[in-house]
Amino acid sequence: MARTAAKDGRAWQVLLLRIVMAVLGGYAFTYAATAALARLLPFDRYDAAAIAMLASFVVYLTFVLWALTTRSSWRVLLGVMATLPLAAIGFWPQLLEGLR
Amino acid sequence: MARAPSLTQSMSGVHTWVGLLLGWALFAIFLTGTLAVFDKEIDWWMAPELTNQDQGPVVAANVAQRWLQANHPTSSSWTIALPTERSPRLAVSVDGQRRGENTPLDAESGEPLAVRDTLGGAFFFHFHYTLHLPRLLGVWVVGFAAMAMLVALVSGIIIHKKIFKDFFTFRPAKGQRSWLDGHNASAVLLLPFHLMITYTGLAIFCVLYMPAAVDALYGGDRQALFREADPAAAAQTGRGFGRDAPKSQAPAAPLLALGQFVEQGEAYYGRGMVAAVSVSDPGQADARVTVRPVLGNRIELTKGQGLTYDGVSGALLHEPAPARASLLTQRVLAGLHFAQFGGYPMRWLYFLCGLVSCAMIGSGLVLYAVKKRKQARDDRFLAVVERLNVSVIAGLAVACLALLWSNRLLPAALEARASAELAAFFGVWLATLLHAMWRPPFHAWREQLLVAAVLALALPLLDFLSADTTDRVRLSIDSAAAMMGLVFGWTAWKVPALSAKGRSEPLLRVRPAGAAQ
Repeated sequence: MARTAAKDGRAWQVLLLRIVMAVLGGYAFTYAATAALARLLPFDRYDAAAIAMLASFVVYLTFVLWALTTRSSWRVLLGVMATLPLAAIGFWPQLLEGLR
Repeated sequence: MARAPSLTQSMSGVHTWVGLLLGWALFAIFLTGTLAVFDKEIDWWMAPELTNQDQGPVVAANVAQRWLQANHPTSSSWTIALPTERSPRLAVSVDGQRRGENTPLDAESGEPLAVRDTLGGAFFFHFHYTLHLPRLLGVWVVGFAAMAMLVALVSGIIIHKKIFKDFFTFRPAKGQRSWLDGHNASAVLLLPFHLMITYTGLAIFCVLYMPAAVDALYGGDRQALFREADPAAAAQTGRGFGRDAPKSQAPAAPLLALGQFVEQGEAYYGRGMVAAVSVSDPGQADARVTVRPVLGNRIELTKGQGLTYDGVSGALLHEPAPARASLLTQRVLAGLHFAQFGGYPMRWLYFLCGLVSCAMIGSGLVLYAVKKRKQARDDRFLAVVERLNVSVIAGLAVACLALLWSNRLLPAALEARASAELAAFFGVWLATLLHAMWRPPFHAWREQLLVAAVLALALPLLDFLSADTTDRVRLSIDSAAAMMGLVFGWTAWKVPALSAKGRSEPLLRVRPAGAAQ
């Protein structure tokens, strides 16, 4: 990936975009996934939050590795976009409050 | 685009670049973390005015109480840090002073001791999780590096599957191959440790790094989360030891001897497991005495816990309740990282494992340079990498040793002495960077390793000359430093043999195990 990138500027842009999607997009995805998991786990509020927090690093790790090594940038973008439905699950009470 | 790379190839790219770019920060984090395993012992080494009087915490608590009674009878709170197996320091503070503002006392006479102002082993501990940046920024940078460590570890495992296949067509004797073997061996041998220490490090700050669950379920109120985690403890900390705690209006009443509370604490937590006693409203009818355990009385990190007694009647008012499963899980993860449990055997095990982690990171950094050196003669990026490698790996070792030397060489009564030690540490570290920029890489490696070897080998000598007494902790640190000095010296001795053979030769020739003789 890096070697072909060095040959032309556009490839560098693609690489940079991929890194931004992996690191920042991945964080957004993980944030939303953690909120959703905490919301969905059928435990006491504190237990659900603790489990989701401790699992979040594994989610982020998996996302970053996948985003950096998968072939299609579009697929990665799709992955980043999955943040929105996950965030909607995690924050639905706040969302309803906001819509009112 | 060219032919798309295979998964192993792209993982290999990720492993190389993440490992290289964050490797320098990671090496510094792991090396200082490894030293921080012995933070209290280094504290002791850096305060040669302290002598081990084997006084025992019960007597020490009474000695401290007499001094506080005579000098601070009207304070709203007292805190006494007791001598333990790891530290002979008896120190008192009043009215919720922070750590560092306390007064060390002689455990026998009860008079204040003039102990030099020093950074102490705590410097390595703080550097380990903040890199000496402003605290919050530092914690985030170290967290980012820790995530990079996980990425490097897991991508390394994925590439290694392929290397395992190569194993059967393995041919010995290439220098680069030897570095790769060293990198792989140190990684694979302690893979569970590398993964555990990195993940638990992230878990300690999980509320900071990933506040999503708190934002979703608690509306972002972290205090509410902490209250719900341990309601009984939250109720306890509500009263007492703050700087602004209002002075109680209760009538005067004599405080029982603090030694007896320490005895009860030892009966509860085990011998030698009591670290501190605090008293709120001493000398009044509503006096409360809290006995706190050392962090390592069990795997679970018991920070902030304690037994609370009525200071006048001696009745036990509050004992820590067992944590709920999810909180216990978090505390055990934190405890696994803090390495306070299991006494000295466990501490040495963590120390050695930490050194292997450092060796893995360091050999990975060197491996990159060795690989590239074969490919290109004039590569500016490679030049930067080689210089950073020298000054981060050998240079940081020199700087850490320089900190210990400055602790003994600077006059004990110097103004702002701790800052002078800090300046010595960073000044020497900067000097190693300049030196690495000025000298060719092989010479820089050799010279800095030699300096590290001399500083480490001569450390016991410095200790004997500059401290009046010696004891087992100082002797352990001196001998560990001397052992490290031998390793530095051996490495430095190996370097010139290679530089003579020209730049394309490997830095070290290590014959792989099982190779034909």
